[in-house]
Amino acid sequence: MAVLPPDMDAAGFSRLIEEFRGAIGADWVWTGEEDLGPYRDSFSPVWDTAEERRASAAVAPADVAQVQAIVRIAARHKVPLFPISTGKNFGYGGPSPNVTGSVVLDLKRLNRVLEVDDRRHFALVEPGVSYFDLYRHISERGLKVMIDCPDPGWGSPIGNALERGIGYTMPFYRDHFGASCGMEVVLPNGELMRTGMGALPGSATWQEYRYGFGPDPAGLFAQGNFGIVTKMGFRLLPMPDHYRTGLITVPRRRDFVKLVEHVNYLSDSGLCGEAVYGSPLQALMARPDFAALATRKGGPSDAEMDAAASAAGLPSWQVDLQFFGPEAATRAHWEHARDRILSDIPGAQAIEGDHFPLPATEEQLRNTTQPYRTGIRRYGALGVPSLGIWRIVRDDGHVGFFPILPRSGEAVFAMQRVLGDALREFPLPPYFNATTAPLYWHSFAFQMVFAPSVKRSDPEHNAMVHRAMKKAVAVAAEHGWGDYRAAPIYQDEVAATYSFNGHALRRFHEQLKDAIDPDGIIAPGRGGIWPRRFRK
Amino acid sequence: MISRRTLLQWSAALPVLVPAAAPARAKGWPAGLDAVLIDRRFGEVQMGAALAPRVHGFDGDVTDIWFRTIDPLWRRPGFVIGGITGPDALFVLERLAWDRGRRVVDRRELPGRGSDGRSATGWVIAPVHPSVRA
Repeated sequence: MAVLPPDMDAAGFSRLIEEFRGAIGADWVWTGEEDLGPYRDSFSPVWDTAEERRASAAVAPADVAQVQAIVRIAARHKVPLFPISTGKNFGYGGPSPNVTGSVVLDLKRLNRVLEVDDRRHFALVEPGVSYFDLYRHISERGLKVMIDCPDPGWGSPIGNALERGIGYTMPFYRDHFGASCGMEVVLPNGELMRTGMGALPGSATWQEYRYGFGPDPAGLFAQGNFGIVTKMGFRLLPMPDHYRTGLITVPRRRDFVKLVEHVNYLSDSGLCGEAVYGSPLQALMARPDFAALATRKGGPSDAEMDAAASAAGLPSWQVDLQFFGPEAATRAHWEHARDRILSDIPGAQAIEGDHFPLPATEEQLRNTTQPYRTGIRRYGALGVPSLGIWRIVRDDGHVGFFPILPRSGEAVFAMQRVLGDALREFPLPPYFNATTAPLYWHSFAFQMVFAPSVKRSDPEHNAMVHRAMKKAVAVAAEHGWGDYRAAPIYQDEVAATYSFNGHALRRFHEQLKDAIDPDGIIAPGRGGIWPRRFRK
Repeated sequence: MISRRTLLQWSAALPVLVPAAAPARAKGWPAGLDAVLIDRRFGEVQMGAALAPRVHGFDGDVTDIWFRTIDPLWRRPGFVIGGITGPDALFVLERLAWDRGRRVVDRRELPGRGSDGRSATGWVIAPVHPSVRA
């Protein structure tokens, strides 16, 4: 199925491609069906339907000058570009563009680790650098810093940060965009700009003070379409001396409220890393009577859940805690957490987990020595990229809706009930039920997960998933819960839910887009931001 | 698990499909592969010894073998690799191969299932981009 850019005929497309070839070499310009296969969204629920977004071509420039050349050619021809770093944004659209016919600007050849400083604790990288590349660079040189990577870790620090992706270590570093510091951007007119101290010629603090002077536009380039990031700095965690774990359980359903408040205190005080919540009662979901209780419309009562927990001899909730730092400090922080929680919640129990100096051994990374069943994925927790999570992916992947909710037990109970009820009509696993625990990936907010699988051989199933995703977005928004990240096919729906004061935010974004990119050269539609040319 | 017979039948079909692997064929390896990757969920690593100069085993998670062995080789021209894995491992390897100018040039489902119930897939990944063709 040949695809052309918007408002362009075949002859114009041929001229465009010839210009691209002249600028970067014919070997790095692709238009064939097979060559463009890697730029489709492998996880798409609308695969091979009219809704799927397909590229007309892909180009892979070698350096920033070639990126600028591509942008200028695209601007002359009014052809939208869709920049990707490593294209591994699976579950959120992968490498596929917002607009069918866009040219994917594949930045994989800009793959240099430009600097890692383990005394001032930062890195400066190009977009084609993956977490594996950065990890390899650091470990081969014995540098004393730890990266914070997503799981799987095959994406790029720049691509992931620009998607506002997350990791699993200490709170500041888990927010990958928040931990960024300074960027270089090719603007829609092909001009090169640096943010923060990078705008000051001769400055040596580009990766140490992100703001510089005056307004900081860096945030516009995350989930936005105002430029192409070609360099980006990141703050790095100094390699901690020691890593320690511990498990806290609480007996009753309502104890979760206090447990969350204690962990909020520990996390916001910088005393612990990612806290991994779970409910041991999930083990009972295989029992039809318990599953019926946990998924009952309107939700079960606390007393009913407590009775089920008591009968099974299980606690209602648990939290895996992780501590980084000098060994004595990790012990002190664990003991403080244990004493604080156990003295406040009757029946709470604590189990000391394993602990060891860093960097971890292979056995420690495999997490086989924990004296209890743990929810921690150790590779990610210790900033070691892994691909092992793909073993749990079923069917042909999944789509993801991860609504943001307050860090409170009450909010968790509310989301369990509201989204559980809203999604009952769909024949999917009960993602939201009375045992569903929140994810504590973001630094200061919870998320919950809705990630139904897609089946390329079953269009009816995919259509059902597509409907469920849209309903989840809408119902969540009615309760003040918004998605943090979405595939192109859902970005308009999600952006529309951020509608305060007559969509003032969207109108502001559109004004900016119209001012600097009226023809929509850079990723029109990304983040729900459309330039005038494409607005209906 | 797949049988040795299935493995040999799979490999027998490969030489015509993998013209880029001529150097390995010339050295007497009938399947024309520079290396073969066996996912232990589907078969014993030793079964691959007849197919290629190098045989690597892994347990469903390709991280270690890809990071330490395959990716450094994929950064240089040449190197044709075949494998018997689950579709999950192949999904990962195929996308990583694209990043290095390589493609799955042959893919077929094989009789037999792994210890986790997944089907076995036989495949070959070869360099296709001019920057990595031998």
